[in-house]
Amino acid sequence: MELGGRMLWALLSGPGRRGGTRGWAFSSWQPHLPLAGLLNAKELVSHWTAVFEKRGIPEAQASSEYIVAHVLGAKTFQSLRPELWTQPLTPWQLQCIQELSSRRLQRMPVQYILGEWDFQGLSLKMAPPVFIPRPETEELVEWVLEEVAQSPCAMGTQDGPLILEVGCGSGAISLSLLSQLPQSRVIAVDKGEAAICLTEENAQRLRLLDRIRIVPLDVTLEGSWAHLLPWGPVDLVVSNPPYVFHQDMEQLAPEIRSYEDPLALDGGEEGMDIIIHILALARWILKDSGPRFLHIQRSGPRRGCPADAWPGPQPARVPG
Amino acid sequence: MVDCGGLKRKFMATGPGPKLAELLHMSTSSFFGLLARLARLCTMPQGLGPQAKPVLSAPRVAVTMVQAAGKKDRPALPLLDESELEEQFVKGHGPGGQATNKTSNCVVLKHIPSGIVVKCHQTRSVDQNRKLARQILQEKVDIFYNGENSIVYKEKQEAEKKKQERKRRAKETLEKKKLLKELRELSKNVH
Repeated sequence: MELGGRMLWALLSGPGRRGGTRGWAFSSWQPHLPLAGLLNAKELVSHWTAVFEKRGIPEAQASSEYIVAHVLGAKTFQSLRPELWTQPLTPWQLQCIQELSSRRLQRMPVQYILGEWDFQGLSLKMAPPVFIPRPETEELVEWVLEEVAQSPCAMGTQDGPLILEVGCGSGAISLSLLSQLPQSRVIAVDKGEAAICLTEENAQRLRLLDRIRIVPLDVTLEGSWAHLLPWGPVDLVVSNPPYVFHQDMEQLAPEIRSYEDPLALDGGEEGMDIIIHILALARWILKDSGPRFLHIQRSGPRRGCPADAWPGPQPARVPG
Repeated sequence: MVDCGGLKRKFMATGPGPKLAELLHMSTSSFFGLLARLARLCTMPQGLGPQAKPVLSAPRVAVTMVQAAGKKDRPALPLLDESELEEQFVKGHGPGGQATNKTSNCVVLKHIPSGIVVKCHQTRSVDQNRKLARQILQEKVDIFYNGENSIVYKEKQEAEKKKQERKRRAKETLEKKKLLKELRELSKNVH
């Protein structure tokens, strides 16, 4: 095998080859691929899809497509200019794809591999272990926007609304609200240092730093709300808090279990540990006048409705 | 407040409505809507003579303008009936949410009566892909049922026509230049 072909083979084989323990390297080699030829994007996607499938990696094709598209400078494979699908890739591109794909073989979530993801049309930096925003959470943002649209007076006229987000993570919810409500301001809190840094970074990228205050805070600690009072009562409290039942944590997919911060997921025995504190905090921090809205995203039919714990005069909205 | 007379004059002077809509920072559809509303409100101004067409009889005029519109401000495609569509996409509503991490945002949309299927994975957002899938499907359904009369086909014809026209004019200009050059050469030789 000539040098070019050997190099190509090495690039495509992945990490398992040298150790020999996996033994899939050669068997995953598609016989119809030229040994010493030039490969294009489509062929590479096929190749890695097959590799991922063989190794039981979920969303094999989607993962492969995102990685290849990313290296070629696009967000999705379909959005690539069609001529790029069949153009030969450079050795550098092949190497990038190889590196990123080997991370996928380690079950790293695609969003962490690419280091970025989209949320409500915004491109946000992603970094482990900060929680990756879920697509369902985009709906949460839509609901908040609807509420604000329906009650403009209650939300303040000049600088409104003032929103508190508990558990901001990458800043997804806060930043999309800020970008779609030009007069709004946000106080975003999170217990994790990495989340605070990432939200700051994303806010800076999106030039929204002037309207967001990012505060490291653990809302489960006694009297934590006192730190927030100086910024005044807020119009809205939004959160996508940890709500997974503790006993379910083990069964989470490796992508989640091994890479995302468990504190961002674990809601304790009843799944309500953090939610209860948010409700208590909301009672103090929400403006007395006007509607009170608390949006909590939750999963499954099992858990009790957090709204039962809500002391306020109006019911808490708990979509999901 | 909209100056009806001024609007009419401007409209007649500059031509296609879509361009005017742009000038007014309006979408074409809201511009047509505005015209329709004005037609109901405004009476015929004294300024226009008897020969002047009543520009604000919007529906008729709108149709003419629509046919002349370019791709950017194209007329509305025939609407899709949601009950005739079958959609497939990955979006957790059950015990999903935080417990899963789905990245496959591909939307598959089928128009049952015609059997046309559109697959859209243009963006990383399911909602955005759903919207785009509908737009693409709208075009395809239009072509399917209207063939040569479809808006897409007509636009292509229009674009091709313009292209040919440009080519012809360019050729003409080239010929003229050539001719002029030859004449100059001739006159030089004579002296």
